[in-house]
Amino acid sequence: MSGDTLSAPESAPGGTLQSLPAALAAEQALLAAVLAKDRKAAAEFVSRYADPVYAYVSRRLAPRADRVDDVVQDVFLVAFQKLASFGGQSSVVGWLLGIARHKVEDVYRRQLREPDPLPDLDEPWPGSTVEQGVEELIDAARAEEKTRLILARLPEAYSAALLWRYWEQRSIKDMAAQTGKTEKALERLLARARAAFRRLWEATQP
Amino acid sequence: MNDDDFLTRLAALTDAAAAAGRAPARLKSRLYSALVAQQAAAGPLRSLPSTQAAGGHLCVFEHVLRVVPNEQVASMNPCRVCHARVLAERFESPPIYWPHCPYVDFQKR
Repeated sequence: MSGDTLSAPESAPGGTLQSLPAALAAEQALLAAVLAKDRKAAAEFVSRYADPVYAYVSRRLAPRADRVDDVVQDVFLVAFQKLASFGGQSSVVGWLLGIARHKVEDVYRRQLREPDPLPDLDEPWPGSTVEQGVEELIDAARAEEKTRLILARLPEAYSAALLWRYWEQRSIKDMAAQTGKTEKALERLLARARAAFRRLWEATQP
Repeated sequence: MNDDDFLTRLAALTDAAAAAGRAPARLKSRLYSALVAQQAAAGPLRSLPSTQAAGGHLCVFEHVLRVVPNEQVASMNPCRVCHARVLAERFESPPIYWPHCPYVDFQKR
């Protein structure tokens, strides 16, 4: 929208630079309008913030793209419910990503709480001290694509455990507390997941 | 490098490399519909004359409601029964072209 009150700050994604105070003032005006139930402000809110939330959620739930839309929608519904209590201590994007992180962890938690249908796979990974794969890390974009493909091939519980532990950097203790599993059980699950991931990594063409 | 170190490094590397994806217009349409419906369920929306006075541009259907001298009508949400919403929530590039329609705007960004 192009009105004076609710127009997007030009420092918004895709725009040109604008002074920080002006951008913050525009953001506050937008939030006030949303709280006043202005439908055009709601549309502007979605336009401005859906992309970063979507990017985060889709990365964290990859390859389960079918769940991304529902999680993003949950994030925005919760945000609108809590908007009045948002005090502006962080940016709106940071606040939304905080909500998104909780929603993503809800998905991980559900996946890990399900009874473990996984075969008791593997002996410890034999190449646990080898240097294989280091060169591949140099090419980040290629590694990202390869990671996505491998996570898609793993059982859901494996990919959820790996994403939660390594990409969200949650401790095993935290994960255990949130899933009701013992730390030992989670360590075993992670060991199997890592081994399966590593085996596919080395078997997959770069 | 053991498996734990390998995955720790891989996570840091791929997170930095991940491209920022854009949300599909279809999803933005769904979000907008859900948010406005949630707000409408908790009480009347800001009236269309007030919305316009605050700088919001109205679509043709909202203009029609705006001229009705009834506060309840002026706070209605015509998107709820609009074909543009139905199409935009289901298709990524629907044939909708109304000026100042949020669902059309989501296609452009």
